[in-house]
Amino acid sequence: MNNLKLILIGLLIPSLLMIPFSILSFYTDFANKNPDPSQVTVSFQGKDYSAIEGKRTFEQYQCMGCHTIVGNGAYFGPDLTKVYKRINGNDAALATYILSGVPEKGMPPMRDRGMNEEDAYRTVAFLKYTQMLDTNGWPNNGSWDRDGNIDGVQAKQISPSGIWQIILGIVFFNLLILGVILAYERGKEEKHE
Amino acid sequence: MSEYPSMSRTGKYFVTAILLFVFQMILGLIMSFDFVLRGTSNTPAPFDILKSLHLNVMVLWLLLGFIGGIYFLLPKEVGRDVKHPVLIDIQFWFLLLIGIGIIVSELFFTGKNWWLVEGREYVEAGRVWDILLTLGLLSVVYNVGVTIHERKREMSTPMLVLAAGAVGSILMYIPGEIWFNSLVAAEYFRWWVVHYWVEATFELIAAGAIALILLSITDVRREIIEKYLAIEVALVLITGIIGQGHHYYWIGTPDFWLFLGGLFSALEPVPLFLMAWSAYKDLKENKKPLQNKVALYMIIGATLGNLFGAGVWGFIHTLPQINFFTHGTQITASHAHFATPGTYLFLVLGFAYIATPALSGRTNFSQLTGRIGFWILVIGFLNMIIALLLAGIIQVQLQRLEGMSFMEVQNILLPFYGWRTIGGVIALIGGLVVAYDIIMLGRKKII
Repeated sequence: MNNLKLILIGLLIPSLLMIPFSILSFYTDFANKNPDPSQVTVSFQGKDYSAIEGKRTFEQYQCMGCHTIVGNGAYFGPDLTKVYKRINGNDAALATYILSGVPEKGMPPMRDRGMNEEDAYRTVAFLKYTQMLDTNGWPNNGSWDRDGNIDGVQAKQISPSGIWQIILGIVFFNLLILGVILAYERGKEEKHE
Repeated sequence: MSEYPSMSRTGKYFVTAILLFVFQMILGLIMSFDFVLRGTSNTPAPFDILKSLHLNVMVLWLLLGFIGGIYFLLPKEVGRDVKHPVLIDIQFWFLLLIGIGIIVSELFFTGKNWWLVEGREYVEAGRVWDILLTLGLLSVVYNVGVTIHERKREMSTPMLVLAAGAVGSILMYIPGEIWFNSLVAAEYFRWWVVHYWVEATFELIAAGAIALILLSITDVRREIIEKYLAIEVALVLITGIIGQGHHYYWIGTPDFWLFLGGLFSALEPVPLFLMAWSAYKDLKENKKPLQNKVALYMIIGATLGNLFGAGVWGFIHTLPQINFFTHGTQITASHAHFATPGTYLFLVLGFAYIATPALSGRTNFSQLTGRIGFWILVIGFLNMIIALLLAGIIQVQLQRLEGMSFMEVQNILLPFYGWRTIGGVIALIGGLVVAYDIIMLGRKKII
């Protein structure tokens, strides 16, 4: 059973190495200087909301279904990792932004999705925490957050007058593919004869 | 077929998997309109819910296809029937019920109950569904394990790899369910689910299944196929397990992952190349006439989709210095829409095209419909992949390098999103053709 031995070595060596790597990632001086989420809070009407509650809210309202956080998630909306910095740490402005959304850019008012002000401030606490994460420099400045402001550009829709270019491009591209497929299928039939 | 009666219970797994795949494509197509008509589109559900369903329905049909495939192939390889045949039926209905539960939860409980919807990419299903799904999947592990334990014949390497992949996939669902207060730790272990599925355990299933299918349709010597397989699998594990590091560049984990992840994941295409190359060599050496051409198309499609979609498209943005700019852009979307359907869709379709005719006795079927469906799928997906790749390159240049704002770049990308939608329509037609063909192959016999 030499085959099995080879596979087992392939499985065990890297798996065992993952243990020290994981420990190094979190419990040693190698670990990045990330904030403790229970210590990051925002206050609203005299009450403190922590980033831990915020993480749960962030998950519950499925923010990751449109946005990315540390670059992971969906690419329909912009990345949220540093959004707290983009709005200059203004808790109230960010909470209002979340609650009223930007329907013309595709973001629904989260109030319509059942979010109350407490949950909005919890989410703000979470976003305050994420902008403090040490993400090895990602994202670079001037890419996600130009001018240090919320993105002011208006959304456009696809314009019917430009569609002929797309159609032409698609026809050309697919004729190329069809040519390759045709060559492949014909070549095979000739070999069989 | 009568030798192992439990095999006849697996037909519904394949048919359901393909119907769910068509449903997933419809969801994706609807979402693509949100990109081109941003803000003015009237989709039946919000983008985030459609997106979660798009992913969760895929996870469900992949699991159904793989479980069906392993139950179908296992008896012949171990020389005995599955230990508890009734469980095959129960598990099917249980998984389907969970799937319906997840869909209903997403549609009606997103934002209302964290136990029903958790909203983390790929593992959006809430805690309740996580726990039920894990229980259901563990019962599959039990049924497969006990059947293998009481085998009548020595197991072949491909079957062992396939079974290990299936069991590993099921166990790997668990790390993603642990709650962490820290986003860093939560993301760290969420990737154990996603990455170890697609780059370790699902790859084992793919390698084992491709080897088994090649064994059954060609006359290439078993030892040759098994020798290659062992090297492929060892390399998949050696590169893939630490290659996990390419998800740890920017999530708040130390920068030694930049070196580790870059090094190991840059080597990940090597086993994928070996897989494609050895399949090509086997088919060239083969002298037996090939009966089931459609299944062969699907298997060749899976090896090439794996090599280009996962290997090449993964390699272009896996090095940390490049990933710094491509992370979170449409480049990733292009990669995902190439690697997943390219490898795992064609693999499940390969299973379906081998099992369905065998189970319904229609082995002499016309293979034209299946082949046409295959090519339409390829054309549709290639359009999506290229459109998204170009969109991604432009997005990296304008947004990440030149510093244009997100919305400004999205406006520029509109034509490419339009192209992607048309690719989606073509792919959907292909999916419908294949689904129709498989249902007709199995009609009245297996469903």
